[in-house]
Amino acid sequence: MMRGLPRIGVAVVRGRSMEPTYAEGDSLLVAYGVRPVPGRAHVIRLPDGPDGPRPIAVKRLTRRERDGWWAERDNPAEGVDSWLVGAIPEHDVLARVLLRLPRSLRAR
Amino acid sequence: MLRRFLAPTIEVSAHCDLPCGVYDPAQARIEAQSVKAICEKVADNDDPDFRIRAAIIKEQRSELVKHHLWVLWTDYFKPPHFEKFPQLHTLVNEATKLAGGGGGTKATFDVAKADELLGKIDEIAAIFAETKKS
Repeated sequence: MMRGLPRIGVAVVRGRSMEPTYAEGDSLLVAYGVRPVPGRAHVIRLPDGPDGPRPIAVKRLTRRERDGWWAERDNPAEGVDSWLVGAIPEHDVLARVLLRLPRSLRAR
Repeated sequence: MLRRFLAPTIEVSAHCDLPCGVYDPAQARIEAQSVKAICEKVADNDDPDFRIRAAIIKEQRSELVKHHLWVLWTDYFKPPHFEKFPQLHTLVNEATKLAGGGGGTKATFDVAKADELLGKIDEIAAIFAETKKS
């Protein structure tokens, strides 16, 4: 992870693997280059799959492993996470989710 | 100046739909084989309880056939596939109808109907196999 001044950005959620916490179309305020916090949702880069690169994802980091962070989805019925791909290396944890922007503010 | 603090907006995936990339028409085929086997078993069994169970299970398996075909259609096949195989939309439509209640395997214990369904799944599987050859 880069250290120094955190940069703030917005991430728009696609998909259902983080329901009920985050739904399709939710906007999240995220901080890049900050220290990961166990138990909180983060923006991570998943390792490539058999069909090539996977998209940047939002997952919950549950614990520190020897070889990175264990990332889980909030919706066990859907999605891909460390149970499938193993721990996420430190440098693939890109940002921490600070909060979900109110759904009424959702940009169309 | 602001750009030093503001990162560009990104999209983050919370996706499912097997991003592990495991898709296979064999899933639909296995369920359709169950449907066919149920039809065959009912043909030589008059026990009413057995027939009721068979009907329930056939309904469930038929629904799974539809589900697996829809997953392929929605998540696996991409626009280039549909361009290359223009019959694909119709095939999926016909196959899911054959697994449905409007004259499909949900509505009948006819083994021939189950065979028709298996045939359609095989046609989709052939296209699927073609798309895997790059």
